Amino acid sequence: MCLTPKTGRMERMLEIKNLSVLRIERKKSVPILNDINFAVKEGEMFCLVGESGSGKTSLALSIIRLLPKSFKIAYGEILINGKNILGINERSMRNIRGKEISIIFQDPAAYLDPLFTIGTHLQESFHGKMANKKELISLALQEVGLDSEIQTVYPHQLSGGQQQRVMIAMALINKPSIIIADEPTTALDVLTTRQIISLLNAIRLKHSPAMLFITHDLELAMEIGTRIGIMYRGNIVEIFRPGVQKPYHPYSKILLGTIERKNSKLVVGVEKNKFYNEQISQVCVFFDMCDEKEENCKKIIPFIWHNNETGVRCIKSGRNTQV
Amino acid sequence: MRKLLHRLKNHSRLAYFSLWFLLVFYFASFFADILAPYHFDHQFRNKPYHPPTKIHFFDSRGHFHIRPFVYNTVVDDPVFKTYREDHSKIYPLKFFVRGKERKIFFFFKTDRYLFGVDQPAGIFLFGTDNYGRDIFSRLLYGGRISLSISLIGVFISFSLGMITGGIAGYFGGIIDQTLMRLVEILMVFPSFYLMLSLRAMFPLNLSSIQVYLLIVLILSLIGWAGLARIIRGMVLSIKEEDYILAAKSLGLSHWKILLFHIFPNTFSYSITAITISVPGYIIGEAALSLLGLGIQEPYPSWGNILSSTIGNLRVLGDAPWLLLAGIFIFVVLINFNLLGDALRNVLDPKNW
Repeated sequence: MCLTPKTGRMERMLEIKNLSVLRIERKKSVPILNDINFAVKEGEMFCLVGESGSGKTSLALSIIRLLPKSFKIAYGEILINGKNILGINERSMRNIRGKEISIIFQDPAAYLDPLFTIGTHLQESFHGKMANKKELISLALQEVGLDSEIQTVYPHQLSGGQQQRVMIAMALINKPSIIIADEPTTALDVLTTRQIISLLNAIRLKHSPAMLFITHDLELAMEIGTRIGIMYRGNIVEIFRPGVQKPYHPYSKILLGTIERKNSKLVVGVEKNKFYNEQISQVCVFFDMCDEKEENCKKIIPFIWHNNETGVRCIKSGRNTQV
Repeated sequence: MRKLLHRLKNHSRLAYFSLWFLLVFYFASFFADILAPYHFDHQFRNKPYHPPTKIHFFDSRGHFHIRPFVYNTVVDDPVFKTYREDHSKIYPLKFFVRGKERKIFFFFKTDRYLFGVDQPAGIFLFGTDNYGRDIFSRLLYGGRISLSISLIGVFISFSLGMITGGIAGYFGGIIDQTLMRLVEILMVFPSFYLMLSLRAMFPLNLSSIQVYLLIVLILSLIGWAGLARIIRGMVLSIKEEDYILAAKSLGLSHWKILLFHIFPNTFSYSITAITISVPGYIIGEAALSLLGLGIQEPYPSWGNILSSTIGNLRVLGDAPWLLLAGIFIFVVLINFNLLGDALRNVLDPKNW
């Protein structure tokens, strides 16, 4: 089998340490991501969940270093197979993109160049030896459940599900050690979503890459994720194992409440119009909306790790961790 | 390519016809050495302003001839240049006649022409000019210059425009500012005066090939600025598209993205712009030739064939066939416009 993972990799494939990202505006800088810490291991499906605007996509783009120009990585480290990619130049970054780390985007119709056939797209994303190019392309297509004949077809002639399968094939073709899926099912219907999810899961089990699955659908994340990171206003407020632990952070509970529909009171719009950058240095990010806040919350809350894998950014976490 | 033709045909019959029409024009000019009955500087000194020759099937006694023929003509009125046919002898039209050796583009030699008649009669499909030269032959030879100037000129100016606009739009910042200010400097001059002053920088006594190259250069240096601006604008919007981000995430280099993703996506506009600007070059060459700054006699171009007409007002009434060069320019112009319009739709995969 050609697509088996290489041996001798570092165990932690994607590791992010103290990452902070700012958006530079005319006079001020707005924090987009604040003190992000987590690691995704080989064969793991790490799900990032958060509402829109919480910085999920910015995080994905900073991992491949393709943030828009106005965004700036203020400090932190992004380690890919043990190598900090923030320190390397653009040329070596280009060799990492697509090869060691690939990304599946949200809306496949917009992310495929309308002028080129599927075959051209696949050839373009292929970085290996030219000799077995054709073979590997049809192999990758086969793996995502597409016919080899699809190569002569243009993107607009395919359905959304097929387009997303093509994107997955493009991401797979170089056997990357990290796959980022940025809301890959948002533009798809329920049944197609199911198919794509099971495809991604099958790929994870087969090639065991580190998968970072970004979604706003907590229900989906609970189902497929080995760990879930909850994002709120540029912070990861909690990382937990679904099925093993229950989330603790008040915001995570609100999100969970929306699935279980028990806690209708909590389904209130989170205020978006307030920039939190003025408050960030003073209080907990969730201070305004929190029902359980107390005086102690008016300070910077660090991310408290329970073990190396799970943790929460809440002051009360020490008192009640186990459920 | 065959698919493309098929799509063009399905999309617009008219454009499909235009394409073939233009191909015939280009083909005819390219093989002028074979198709033209006379060389462009061959003079019939006794037949200036000769009207188009009548081709007969019946002779003066009413006998039918399978092979068409012409009569020799003699001057009837030397002042007003009227001719009458001399019915004493018929000159049958001959195909693949042998004549003086001509070179086809410096490489191949030919001494056979498609058709002709024996001397002293002449076959002038479109009449002759003031020196007694066959207009039909001169139009074929002239098309070689006018049509190739437009193609080469378009090629140069579009390469310049695409590269400048593409680089300025894609990389932005100081590169963009510098290039665009340069383009603006070029654009502030009215193009016709710029063309004249550029031509005035060079001496008048250049050889014809030098003049030819000079005109190509002048025309393409004027044409690229506007295109560069528009391409820059398009690149600015295309580079923000999601599929460019996707291409970057695949690890493609800037040049690959520019060449394989951004430029092809500007083609919907630039293909149309190319075909529509071709006539501009034909007219530009005609304008220079009309003023005597372009292709010099005896070399023909559609521009200077036309200019010899404008110089003499009497001609307009008495020898209107000299205006055919203008009609050729007009026809080519229309066909290019029709083709360009249709090509834009045909080249977009979404319309297939």
